[in-house]
Amino acid sequence: MIALSVAAALAVFILYTAVVGGATTQLSPSELAGHTGHVALVGTVVGPVSGDAHGAGLRFRVKDVSGTSRVTVPIVYTGSVPDLFKVGRHIVLTGRLHGATFVGDDGSLVTKCPSKYAPAKGSSST
Amino acid sequence: MTLALVLGAVLAVLAVLLVARPFLREPAPADDRLAEPGELDRRRLELVEERDRALAALKELEFDHRTGKISDDDYRALVGPLRRAAAEALRALEPRAESRVAERPTRIGR
Amino acid sequence: MAELGRAALLVTFGLVVYALVAGSLAAWKRRRRLALSAQNALLAAFGTTLVAATVLLVALARRDFTFQYVAQHTSRSLPLGYALSAFWGGQEGSLLLWLLILSGYSALAVWLNRRARDLVAWVVPVLGLVAAFFAFMLCFVSSPFVVAPAPGDGAGMVPSLQNPYMLAHPPMLYLGYVGLTIPFAFGMGALLSRRTDERWIVATRRWTLAAWTFLGIGQLLGAHWAYVEIGWGGYYAWDPVENAALMPWLAATAFLHSVMIQEKRGMLKVWNMVLVSLAFLLSIFGTFLTRSGVVNSIHSFSQSPLGGWFLGFIALMTAATVALIYIRLPLLKARTRLESLVSREATFLYNNLLLVALCLTILWGVMYPLLTQALRGETRSVSKPYYDFFLHTFGLPLLLLMGIGPLVAWRRASVRALGRTFLVPLLAAVVTGVALIGVGLGGSTPGLLTYTFSAFVAASIVLEFWRGTNARRAIAGESLPRAFTSLVARNRRRYGGYVVHAAVLLLAIGIAGSSAYQTVREPAHGLRPRQSMEIAGYTLTYRGLSTRQEADAQATRATVDVTRGGSHVTTLHPGKNWYPVEQQTSNEVSIYHDPRNVGDLFTIADQIDPKSQVLFLKVLVKPLVNLIWVAGFIFVLGSVIAMWPDAVEQRRLAERYAPAAMSAGL
Repeated sequence: MIALSVAAALAVFILYTAVVGGATTQLSPSELAGHTGHVALVGTVVGPVSGDAHGAGLRFRVKDVSGTSRVTVPIVYTGSVPDLFKVGRHIVLTGRLHGATFVGDDGSLVTKCPSKYAPAKGSSST
Repeated sequence: MTLALVLGAVLAVLAVLLVARPFLREPAPADDRLAEPGELDRRRLELVEERDRALAALKELEFDHRTGKISDDDYRALVGPLRRAAAEALRALEPRAESRVAERPTRIGR
Repeated sequence: MAELGRAALLVTFGLVVYALVAGSLAAWKRRRRLALSAQNALLAAFGTTLVAATVLLVALARRDFTFQYVAQHTSRSLPLGYALSAFWGGQEGSLLLWLLILSGYSALAVWLNRRARDLVAWVVPVLGLVAAFFAFMLCFVSSPFVVAPAPGDGAGMVPSLQNPYMLAHPPMLYLGYVGLTIPFAFGMGALLSRRTDERWIVATRRWTLAAWTFLGIGQLLGAHWAYVEIGWGGYYAWDPVENAALMPWLAATAFLHSVMIQEKRGMLKVWNMVLVSLAFLLSIFGTFLTRSGVVNSIHSFSQSPLGGWFLGFIALMTAATVALIYIRLPLLKARTRLESLVSREATFLYNNLLLVALCLTILWGVMYPLLTQALRGETRSVSKPYYDFFLHTFGLPLLLLMGIGPLVAWRRASVRALGRTFLVPLLAAVVTGVALIGVGLGGSTPGLLTYTFSAFVAASIVLEFWRGTNARRAIAGESLPRAFTSLVARNRRRYGGYVVHAAVLLLAIGIAGSSAYQTVREPAHGLRPRQSMEIAGYTLTYRGLSTRQEADAQATRATVDVTRGGSHVTTLHPGKNWYPVEQQTSNEVSIYHDPRNVGDLFTIADQIDPKSQVLFLKVLVKPLVNLIWVAGFIFVLGSVIAMWPDAVEQRRLAERYAPAAMSAGL
């Protein structure tokens, strides 16, 4: 009886993630080309950083976190910018490709802290 | 730093001493067997746990009845078998108590 | 002095390996002195680990930058308290903390239970095995005692870590995580020594409860830190690192409940072995998650070599545990069966299923990116909507069960009696629901359900205390207050448990209020001085900026006046700090605790333009959020009551397991 219930529970969330499609694809800049859907982009910030996130948009580029790829993707982002954001930091943001530029979802920018125990968030709220 | 190494060596020696202590204290023991519960002991333990469970269940039943979670009819139906189970468990333990030389009155519940 | 630290750790490694090998041999071949020797090795290991820990602490206090670890995590200007807390701020130090707590717990647990010779004989090697892994890592893979030419000053500590909550959060978590090793070791010890009795549960009952409490408080501290220090307006983001602590906690919660069933009815023996192992394995897995960089998380780590080792250890322990449980399956046969689906045992079972389901769902969510990458070559991840869905699906019924459980009798509940006992709580729930809808809070279904179920649970808990007190008065003729205290004193576990349930209740209400019913506003073009904004009845007026120099930071603050209905409520100062040593900005939020809704008015200075004085302000109103922190205190209170030593019970248990009566007459 117990085993059955656990199996049922498992089935529920496998179904959910597969069908309801709550999942987002995560890509690095070198993999981004051609993906026109809504995705999460993971990368390292490359300068120069210009513009205003609360104005027309913050502009910068990202490259792969690791590996030898030299592909960089231009980003336009509006919304909260975490304090830890600067050139060289790892970031994640969701959005989609418009032409050659990746337009980030408002407030979706999340910066990872280089040190182990300190997170830094954009604006996801609980 | 040699001080560090000396202290480290001291630590190691102390550790070895502590580990060897049982052997140093009893270089030629009469009995080096690790005590483990024999069949009799295991059975007794089972029965004691059985007894404690039965007595606790009776107490719970009383309490549930008093606080209104079990109706009078259900209480009457349940209390009989539970009392019998508790009595059986107690009885099963008695023969063992007789075989013990130093008899201590066993405490039953509260 | 680093050599001393390294030497001490090497001695520790030798000792725990000896405890593992000699202990196993002694238990298998039944050699008394060898078993005692292995036990001593485990005790000594605590001493040597303590020496290593002291070396590191002293180095941190003295800012001895020849220790690479000290140079990486402290600086001369760092206050002493934070410098000491750097002990667990980095990879190597945190492993040392883990080993320190493990060896301390092991020594204590083994010492306290030394009379259960045959059981402890097997517990020692299991503890030795776990300790050996951590000692190995510390000696050969990730040592805190690496020396290097000392730099002029250390790298300093990230400003957001310089916070009292961050001081307490990791040690609390570790006291919890590591604590789960003890019941696991005793469970495996019982299986290895072929014992079929409940001694291992009795011996570790308080350990489990204590570890579970520490883990819970550790998580609350972490959440509170994230709330006030990181300040994005939330306290939990379903980040893998946060989930890493939640999963073992959920498994331990399930275990705490199902163990009660095993004690009362002799059922669920296999399930309990599985649960205690799950809790332990998840705690190791959690440590692995936080360090290995395997899953993309807000805590970014380079692909650390540690990951492989941890994974290997987890795989080894999982395989060994599964094998052992399988082999000893015949010993774990149940004595009785579930008599009725409407009984307290059954509600505990449902509770267990829901908790484990939630735990596995979270595990799935954490592992999903790894699995999709491995299977499909494309990383997909889930986020808040996924977790929220399952939190509601499993959490809400769990909440309800918390109220139903106490109302149902053991073994078999009378359906008729159910009607009577359920009546008042049901009424409370319905009345609350209707009232809330009337007041306009029907907008959020999960929120409404949480509040309604909470009313049910609250009524049921109050009734339990009420009925129990009355029963006590009838039996013993005591006065009301006396009956109440003697009721609780005689049933510490039950009523302590109810207090913990009350804490969980407050937690649920706090979470619902501050998420389902929160309001957020952030003016898109920012505010200029003297401009104002409205949110949930408050008016916030931005007055201007001010800058001042603090000890190690330049602080910029915006002055914001808060009024409600025309009268001044408070003045808030959200802003940012700039730390020149660490070259880092930090967000400094400003919070007003509103007694009217037990919630917070939370202001974040998202962006400040010093030239134009434009302030991009984000404001959140989070009703009832402070209940979450209050719940933490009540949680501890309930646990302490449940754990409080009971002389009568101790006597009974001592007599039950007294070895003297056993061997006499054989």
